[in-house]
Amino acid sequence: MESRVKRWKTSQLTLWVVLLLLLLLITAPIFYAVLASFKTNMEIFNTPFSLPKSWNFDNYINAWNLGNFKQYFLNSAFITVGGMIIVALVACPAGYAFAQLSFKGSNLLFYLVLLGMSLPVQAIIIPIFFQLKSMGLVNTLTGVTLVSSGLALPFSIFLMRNTFRDIPKELRESAAIDGAGEWRTFWSVVLPLAKPGLVALLIFTFMNIWNDFLLPLVLLIGQEKFTISLGLYSFQGEQTTNFGLIFGGTVISMIPSIIIYIFFQRSFVEGMTGGANK
Amino acid sequence: MNIYDSSSSLEIDKKKSLSIIKGRNKIKFKKMITILSFLLPALILYSIFMLYPMIDAVRFSFFDWDGAAPSMNFVGFDNYIKLTDDKIFIKALGHNLLWVVLSLILMVIPTLILAVLISRVKKGKTFFRAGFYLPSVLSLAVVGVLWSKIYDPEMGPINVFLKSIGLESLAKNWLGEPYFVIPALVIASTWAFYGLYMILFLAGLQNINYELYEAADLDGAGPIRKLWSITIPSLRNTLNVVISMVIINALKGFALIWIMTQGGPFYMSELVSTYVYKAAFSMNKVSYATAGSVVLGIIVIVFTITFNYYRERSEN
Repeated sequence: MESRVKRWKTSQLTLWVVLLLLLLLITAPIFYAVLASFKTNMEIFNTPFSLPKSWNFDNYINAWNLGNFKQYFLNSAFITVGGMIIVALVACPAGYAFAQLSFKGSNLLFYLVLLGMSLPVQAIIIPIFFQLKSMGLVNTLTGVTLVSSGLALPFSIFLMRNTFRDIPKELRESAAIDGAGEWRTFWSVVLPLAKPGLVALLIFTFMNIWNDFLLPLVLLIGQEKFTISLGLYSFQGEQTTNFGLIFGGTVISMIPSIIIYIFFQRSFVEGMTGGANK
Repeated sequence: MNIYDSSSSLEIDKKKSLSIIKGRNKIKFKKMITILSFLLPALILYSIFMLYPMIDAVRFSFFDWDGAAPSMNFVGFDNYIKLTDDKIFIKALGHNLLWVVLSLILMVIPTLILAVLISRVKKGKTFFRAGFYLPSVLSLAVVGVLWSKIYDPEMGPINVFLKSIGLESLAKNWLGEPYFVIPALVIASTWAFYGLYMILFLAGLQNINYELYEAADLDGAGPIRKLWSITIPSLRNTLNVVISMVIINALKGFALIWIMTQGGPFYMSELVSTYVYKAAFSMNKVSYATAGSVVLGIIVIVFTITFNYYRERSEN
């Protein structure tokens, strides 16, 4: 018996060591970028894997000010927050209707949602550009916000439908008997219970819009309108060989998503598994 | 008197029932308005930014248009016929296929093994799950820039390391040589995407009956045997979902390739999405490019529908 416990303990220890080494290997590029962002070009070339000689923030300061990252940051924040608000306001009622209200044509409409989920953005990005052009919204942050929300909609409705479907219908019915209207029931009875789903939706939308590359690339033209992803891309094009500065910009671009991830780790997992396993 | 009475009461009944029907219609109408008020914002947004562009995509593809001319020439299936003759487009489709195969090899089984290892840990499961998911949090722009620096032939850490241990002959221009560029890109994309699949596998693993493993232990089965005859069969549904997601994501790939190689060198990493983007926005072949993107869209949708159809059938 004792030897079995001992064997179990050593096997757990080996497992730990193996996983830890794997984790270090996998996250090495991130550590490499963080270390390099404190180095000069010479240091990166001569001692790529060592700690920087001094913790010098010059690369960050230069990227932030000269590299325009300040502006990119604000643009991304505008588009992302705007998108999150629109998506939440639009997808929650729609998801509620699909989950809790029965109406004619609900199946047909839901097929449209599923179609939107499987359609790759690339298939419609060209018409979207020309549509936005005819609306006078090319190269505007509003345009990108609207398109991003529209494209995020199918998955968001799907996620909220699943969330609302798990809430018993009896709750809604008893609220109706008490004389509450449908919107009132939605707003003050059902929505508060759907909070975890709503949080997952907001985080998902944040990540998708903040990290998006294709839409800003196609829809934004002037550098002063660039988002952080697009800004980083054009920055690396301008500074091809200035590794330190590029890594400064790269780390700046990483920070917001990593912070959100650390704070909302649990919701990430729930949102993902909820979205994939119908 | 009697007759009079009954007829009047009949009249009243009729009126009553009419008003009831009217009332019911009113309620029905009101209910419809309420439901519509829940759906309308979504319908409007969806129609403007998804449905209308979908119709437009198909429409554009039947015309000859450069994106600026005031009128469009109808050309029927010409654009599609031209695509079948376009060597670069065919090459790009082939690269998409190669990308799918390489992604499947690199992502599915290794990620499954990783998930199994994490699920076996008694203490610190959350730590490992969170740590291994970290790369998936980064934007593709960050991943693309980071990995193009890692692959850099002069200053990149891979080549610097190879040179420092005397293996200079192995140091390559990873993104510049025809046969290395796609595998190098797929490795970067695997790094960016495997986290999601790991989470899905972990969720699936939680549902496996632990007694099966205990029984296998009694029979003296080794870890590979257990993986093959318990874990993989029990995870069939999760595996289906993961495999389909890997394939779809591989077909959709754009951002990483655009940032790291723009399809180069000499179209060696060109995918349909990068080729279509170039054709539309730098060569002004708008309708031709749209036809190419419609082909990609149809491939993805047909694959998704068939896959879901078979999955539902096999699950029932």
